[in-house]
Amino acid sequence: MFLSVSNLTKSYNTGIITHVLKGVGLEMERGQIGVILGPSGSGKSTLMNIIGGVDLADGGTVEVDGQRITDLNDNRLVEYRRESVGFVFQFYNLVPNLTVAENIEVVSNISKNPLKTDEVLSAVGLSDKKNRFPRELSGGEQQRVSIARAIVKNPILLLCDEPTGALDLETSRGVLSLIQKVNARFGTTILMITHNSAIAGMAHAVFRLRSGEVAEVKHNSELIPAERIEW
Amino acid sequence: MALRKRVWRTIKENKGRYIGIVILILLGSFYFIAATGIANNLEKMVVGFAEEYRQEDLTFSIDKPIEDIAALEGESGALIEAYRQYDVKVPDGELRLLSSGAKVNIPAVTSGRGLENPADILLDPNFLKMHGLDIGGQIELNGKTFNIVGTMAVPNYVYIIKNLYDVLSTSGFGIGIVSGAEFEAFPEAVTVYAAYFEDRENINAQTIKLHGLLSEKGYSLSEWLDARSNKRVSMPWANISSMKSMSFPVSTAFFLLSCLIVGVMIMRMVKSDGVVIGTLYAQGYRRRELTRHYLAIPILLSAAGGLAGALLALPCVRPVVDSMLTSYILPAKGITFSPLNLALAVLMPVAFIGLSSFLIMRKILKKSAVELMKGDEQKAKVNFIERALRLDRFKFNIKFQIREQVRSVPRLLFLVLGVSAASMILLYGLTYNYSMDVVMEKGALARYLYPLEYNFKEVRNLQQDGGIPEGAEPYNAFRCYPEGRESVEFYLVGTEPDSVGFKMNDMRGNALSRDQVNISYPLASRLKLKEGDTIIIVNKLDGKSYRLTIDGIVEAYGEQFVFMPLDEFNRMTSQPLGSYRTVLSSHEIDFDESLLAGVMDARDPEAYKDLATPTTLIVTSVTALAVLIAVIIIYLVTSLMIDESRNTISLLKVLGYRGKELAKLILNSSMPAVFIGFWLGLPFMLAFGNNISNYVAEMINMVIPMIVNPLYVLVSFVLIFAVYKITKRLSGRKLAKISMSEALKAGTE
Repeated sequence: MFLSVSNLTKSYNTGIITHVLKGVGLEMERGQIGVILGPSGSGKSTLMNIIGGVDLADGGTVEVDGQRITDLNDNRLVEYRRESVGFVFQFYNLVPNLTVAENIEVVSNISKNPLKTDEVLSAVGLSDKKNRFPRELSGGEQQRVSIARAIVKNPILLLCDEPTGALDLETSRGVLSLIQKVNARFGTTILMITHNSAIAGMAHAVFRLRSGEVAEVKHNSELIPAERIEW
Repeated sequence: MALRKRVWRTIKENKGRYIGIVILILLGSFYFIAATGIANNLEKMVVGFAEEYRQEDLTFSIDKPIEDIAALEGESGALIEAYRQYDVKVPDGELRLLSSGAKVNIPAVTSGRGLENPADILLDPNFLKMHGLDIGGQIELNGKTFNIVGTMAVPNYVYIIKNLYDVLSTSGFGIGIVSGAEFEAFPEAVTVYAAYFEDRENINAQTIKLHGLLSEKGYSLSEWLDARSNKRVSMPWANISSMKSMSFPVSTAFFLLSCLIVGVMIMRMVKSDGVVIGTLYAQGYRRRELTRHYLAIPILLSAAGGLAGALLALPCVRPVVDSMLTSYILPAKGITFSPLNLALAVLMPVAFIGLSSFLIMRKILKKSAVELMKGDEQKAKVNFIERALRLDRFKFNIKFQIREQVRSVPRLLFLVLGVSAASMILLYGLTYNYSMDVVMEKGALARYLYPLEYNFKEVRNLQQDGGIPEGAEPYNAFRCYPEGRESVEFYLVGTEPDSVGFKMNDMRGNALSRDQVNISYPLASRLKLKEGDTIIIVNKLDGKSYRLTIDGIVEAYGEQFVFMPLDEFNRMTSQPLGSYRTVLSSHEIDFDESLLAGVMDARDPEAYKDLATPTTLIVTSVTALAVLIAVIIIYLVTSLMIDESRNTISLLKVLGYRGKELAKLILNSSMPAVFIGFWLGLPFMLAFGNNISNYVAEMINMVIPMIVNPLYVLVSFVLIFAVYKITKRLSGRKLAKISMSEALKAGTE
């Protein structure tokens, strides 16, 4: 199994103890697209942060490509993030004073075997905008840059946190289609968080989270192309 | 009001930065109050004493007593005091007895009581201490016993030197005041005159007039020295002037600078809180309520810093003033502070910083709540420099660092100018100190190849008074000023063409001919003269003017003089050929002491170093201050930069950047700005220093050239960069604390 999450628990103590994850478990094969669905507060982001190595679990295990993430120390986690995982955020999180190409270089700068910036830009259809600043791009274009930045290191796992949350339908389709293409072209395993159940159709595996637990797991035998998704 | 709680919480959240701001304001107000306090109290003590006790404008001796002093006073507009003077040998020293002045140079009793009974004597406190005497005790002088009734200070002996031309005090020498009647016991006492002009303007013109009147009446002058040239009177004045010139402009400039820096800081902080302001605005808060809230922090900080600085400065003034006046005899006066300066120290930062915060709040609140809530203020707009930069050929780290710096032009300017200011103060302190050292080492004392200078009371003549021994040479001189510029005073010196007693090289180090008119470089540059130019000079003593053509310029440090051949000098001033007033000698000569006005001995230049002690004190404090400013400015800007890049830093952490890589990217980006700031400090320092030097030259006729020492520049550079490195380390911790969750939760773009 490429991704294996088992009995994962996480609580926060902000004066009151909140149990965010209560023994979550899920599995995904290499090269699959997975979608985590769930309402606000269901623990989606916390789960993704632990899988991405930016947060620590209280209990349980996470294994990615045979590596147990939950056992890694801070240094190894940094190594894991810089080599194995790509992040795509809802609000793109681009560095505002760097150009499109430079935003991609932020990641290629620290990767051992990055793809060429021009190749990635071409893959996301932004070759002609490489010298633009984020403010000069539309929301969809900014999300494309964010995807380009995530894939330039050629990660084995791409984590997308509500990648279409800030976009309209048409632009969202474009972004989802790009994610599908990345999956097809580079064989990247993709795990996506979303509120939007319509997106579930493009995933091999769908995990529905409710109150910190996996309430439902669904595997799609046929995937819907992103261009045909409606909501 | 809930918002009030936020004020303290905001301060607590950014303790380091706010402490930096308070320290900066504190230093500004501390230095301002200390410097103005020291300068004003020195002035009060020295100038106040001079005015209250009528310090002489000139002292002179003549061949016979003035017949009708009252008539001469009427004609000259001067108060003229004839006082008696007699030097008495005492064990391990000498005491100069002076008759008590009633009109001019009135003695001030500093302890004990005044003269009331016959045989009462007042002694100078140093003499009393040095000779183990006590008030109430007795002293025997030439067989006559005097009762020591107190100690005193006299305006014409504030700096006690035996001879008018001495520079340093003679060990064991002191003065005592007795009533005029006591001088019957000392028939050999001489009469010396002191004059004080009632009209305090145009002292020079009145001096010339009095000189003319005395000559007209047939008196022959044997000594004539105005207060400005009289070290007994002028030494403490030089201290006041150097204190004022060094401390006052620096402290005021620094105070304004610290207010400006803090103003900019607060402005940026208020600006970065735009979303909160917008939200509160949307919740129904009125503009004035929000303005009041956002003014609370800057006003609180500036008032606290200003007040603390002023309060800390108050007890520091007395010891500094005392240490600066240890060599002088002055009546003790209480330390006072100008209420205006105290008010300024607290109100100036409050007003300045409050105003800048108010203006920025007004600007922010002109936007709608919606605009503010969108975080428009936080979004980094791409400025024209960022847009114009094409950095494709650089490595990513360099690109990132350049972009990080040009992201905010005001922030960059703030850092560059802040570092420049700190470097300027540091360089100024060290350069001033070095310049003083050079002036001491290579200046007047080093010019004397023959180290002993015998000044005679009256003009002598080579033919009539016999020759001068081997290894000695004569010269003649008078004090003068260029026509129309009385503030520039210097000596015109006539030396023999084969003179070797003075070193006299041109600017390239080649020996200059003595058979021509040579001017020292500082004087030439002050008067903007070059070789071939003509200057009209006026003799300060008699007002006669002479025209000279400059033949050569002498390499010199701080000295102001013009040398010319002795014969030409005597011919020009209508004195008999062979006239001289001074003998310069390589060895001691046994002249009759009664003929001498004083001996200057330059054999031990170390002995003169004590005179520079106040300067060292000021320089040390200025250096410490500069380092502190540099630390605070660099820390403030770096911490501001980290705060303004929090999201980027957090994002980079998520993307896998390590702490060291982040520190390199973010913190190293300031290095070129610090580098440029430092090197800009050098021309700023020279411009500032030369302006102050010119100002001092006009005020006290003392030229302190700004001589840059490459070693000190290097030391300053290393110091500033060490400060930068330390600040980087401090900021590294702040950087490490930024959590990855900030990027995960944020919607920056």
